[in-house]
Amino acid sequence: MAERQKIDARGAFCPGPLMELIAALKLGAVGDEVDVWSSDKGSAADIPAWCAKVGHAVVETSEHDGYWSVVVRKAK
Amino acid sequence: MSAKPLYIMLCSGEHEKIQLAAMVSSVAAVSDRPVEVFVTMNALLPFERGKSPEERYQGGHFHELFVTKKVPDAIELFSQGKMLGDMKMWACSLVLDLKHWECDTHLAEDLFDGPMGLAKFLADAENGEMITI
Repeated sequence: MAERQKIDARGAFCPGPLMELIAALKLGAVGDEVDVWSSDKGSAADIPAWCAKVGHAVVETSEHDGYWSVVVRKAK
Repeated sequence: MSAKPLYIMLCSGEHEKIQLAAMVSSVAAVSDRPVEVFVTMNALLPFERGKSPEERYQGGHFHELFVTKKVPDAIELFSQGKMLGDMKMWACSLVLDLKHWECDTHLAEDLFDGPMGLAKFLADAENGEMITI
C-alpha cells in the first residue's frame, strides 16, 4: 500500500529541500508520496521542474504561513 | 533523449565559487544529467583531508553568511550529488604533483574518483558542455 512521508525541510537552504526529497524518493516504492515542506523560496518552482525533468508526479503544491508544501508521487 | 554531460572545471579557491560549483553539479547530477568535475589550482586546497568546514574556506560576504547561517558544506553537497546521481570528481594531477598529495590519502574521503590530466578532461568534455568556475 502506498504511503505518504512528510519531510520538514523548513530552514534548509537551496538545494537542501530538493536533495532531501530525492533521497526520500530513492528509498520509497513506486506510488509512494513525499510531502516536502520548504521555506526556501525557490523550492515551489524548483521541485516541480525537477519532477518534470526526471518523470515523477507533482500531486499538489500549496503555500502556507512562510513555507510551501509540495507533494510528489514516485512514478518510476 | 538523455541530456548532454556537464563538465565543470573548478579552479577558484573562493568559498562562494566552490559552493556554486557544488550546487550546480549536485542538482544537475540528480536531474539525470551526467556530471564530471575537474578540481584544479586553488580550488583543490579546501578538499585537503582533515580540515573542518570552519577552516576549509576563504571568501567574502557570502562566505561569512554561509558560515554564520550554517549553509550545508560544499563537500557534503558534492557527496550527495555523487550518491544520488551520475557524478564523477577528478583531482588535477599537476596540483597533486606540486603538493605531493595522493587522492587516497590527502583529499576528502570517498569524494574523488582519481587523478586526471587536463588533456584527458578536455577530450572527454568534447562530448558535452563545459563551464569554468
